[in-house]
Amino acid sequence: MAPLLEVKDVSFKYPQASILENISFHLQPGEVFCLLGPNGCGKTTLLDCILGWLKPCSGQILLNGRTVQNMSAPQIARQVAYVPQIHEKTFPYLVRDIVIMGRASFIGPFASPSAEDVAITEKALDMVGISRLKDRSYTQLSGGEGQLVMVARALAQNSPLIVMDEPTAHLDYRHELIILETVVELVKQTGLAVLMATHVPNHGYYFENQGIKARAGLIKDRRIMASGKPSEVLSEHNLGKLYRIKTCIVDCQLESGERIKQVVPISTINNL
Amino acid sequence: MSLIKKFWQYTLLIAAPFLIILLSLLIGRYPVDIGTVVNIIFCRITMQPCNVEDIYQTVVWDIRLPRAILGAMVGGCLSISGAAFQGLFRNPLVSAGILGVSSGAGFGAALAIIIFDQAAAIYASAFTFGILAVLFSYLISKVYNGTPTIMLVLGGTIVSSVFSALLSLAKYLADPMNELPAIVFWLMGSLASARYSDIIIAGIPMLIGVGGLMLIRWRINVLSMGDREAHSLGINTSFNKAIVIGCATLATAGAVCVSGIIGWVGLVMPHIGRMLVGNDNRILIPVSFFLGAAFLVIVDDFGRILTGSEIPLGILTAIIGGPFFVYLLKKTKGGGW
Repeated sequence: MAPLLEVKDVSFKYPQASILENISFHLQPGEVFCLLGPNGCGKTTLLDCILGWLKPCSGQILLNGRTVQNMSAPQIARQVAYVPQIHEKTFPYLVRDIVIMGRASFIGPFASPSAEDVAITEKALDMVGISRLKDRSYTQLSGGEGQLVMVARALAQNSPLIVMDEPTAHLDYRHELIILETVVELVKQTGLAVLMATHVPNHGYYFENQGIKARAGLIKDRRIMASGKPSEVLSEHNLGKLYRIKTCIVDCQLESGERIKQVVPISTINNL
Repeated sequence: MSLIKKFWQYTLLIAAPFLIILLSLLIGRYPVDIGTVVNIIFCRITMQPCNVEDIYQTVVWDIRLPRAILGAMVGGCLSISGAAFQGLFRNPLVSAGILGVSSGAGFGAALAIIIFDQAAAIYASAFTFGILAVLFSYLISKVYNGTPTIMLVLGGTIVSSVFSALLSLAKYLADPMNELPAIVFWLMGSLASARYSDIIIAGIPMLIGVGGLMLIRWRINVLSMGDREAHSLGINTSFNKAIVIGCATLATAGAVCVSGIIGWVGLVMPHIGRMLVGNDNRILIPVSFFLGAAFLVIVDDFGRILTGSEIPLGILTAIIGGPFFVYLLKKTKGGGW
């Protein structure tokens, strides 16, 4: 079976600077791939290429075996949905009006959403657990609730892959966990695949601790420095190279008997 | 809000322009009572001879009715285009003129007044230059891939200022005895010369524009998420933007070429719509049309009756609309902004 997402030897350049060189990885259904790397390393650029918003200079990106560059916007949207890092709120739309926009790729240019689209929207809201918010104005929601609305909108798209760009940036501990738990729940229940850019190595460990198929890829100096299982890739050595910091991996046993691993940052390193 | 209340609200919104058009047939220099008006309309529609004095028939059927209908169409078009552009540009402070259609039409009208001085030529020239201005703005934004919103705004600003300068040049060169006042009055906006033929000629682009916006209205919600999100939600942003811009421009240019420059309607009426029915463009777009239609006919009525001579529309829309808007803002606490 062809992988859901296959990134083959992708390079991306702006006229002044090369951003990504020879990036390759792939993603299967039911898998979470965490993309890590310092600020400005090109994570968002890579996501934009996968979403068909930017065109790679060389290499190929395949969604379900089809080249993204040759697909139209609705065709791409049926394969991959997007949860943005910061959603710029403009008009105070109701939550349900936002979530139903996930149906756009199924609705003709001169048509409006049908009763079926409304039903799918309700289901998406329910899966994320925010049905109670559906008649609220989304400009009045907290950051965490707003991000859940974005996840629900992506779910309404019914695509097998969701791309998330730092979905937990500027969320508090509780809401960060709510987002992560939602992702785990969705992956377990629906076999969804998630590609997530993140600044938190512990997200990789979290997914592995939860027992879902998780991998991490580290981008350093325009290339993938390492990729594989989070507990193997997110080592003290690799994190030291990636972020120039000293870390300590701790392994502890919970009261339930479950063993979990986490990264603890210790200090910055200036020469390496 | 309960369904019954919603039903009455929408019924009232749709009925308002028609009631106001009927009302405006009664008032003016020659007051006509409602019975006579109904009689005249009935006779004319059924093509029967009428036992009403000719002067009343002319006033009601040939002067007031086309003027009120045209006013409603112009107001509706400016308002619906404003609402569409506000969504497209993700900015509630945008109006129908953002891409330069008014400036272009103003220059086109001035040019025709100087060269031809003929109503038909003025319409044609204003319409053509209005469309051209938007086309230029659009082409400027095409310099970048996929017409980014910010480049459209910039293109509109550039084109507007160039056409304003050309308009100033036209005014400067115009004969100050006849042409210059004609240009100035045209720019202030008026419906005084409305005829049925105007309704038919200008009605075609207005109808196409309004029809297109009505059809694509849900997509405006999606476009208002921003280019990148709209793309990832699965719509072709360039194509959809081009349709919205094309329709809004046809509607606005059709309106402006027969009425002159009427500001304020395209900015404020969509806002009042937002306060009344929320921001979902599926509802807001049609509601904006009806609100704009009702508003402009009322304003035109005031223009006719306030003083012995007519007050130009563009002046009154601001004087009446401004305080009314402030009152609404205060009353609804801004509707969630």
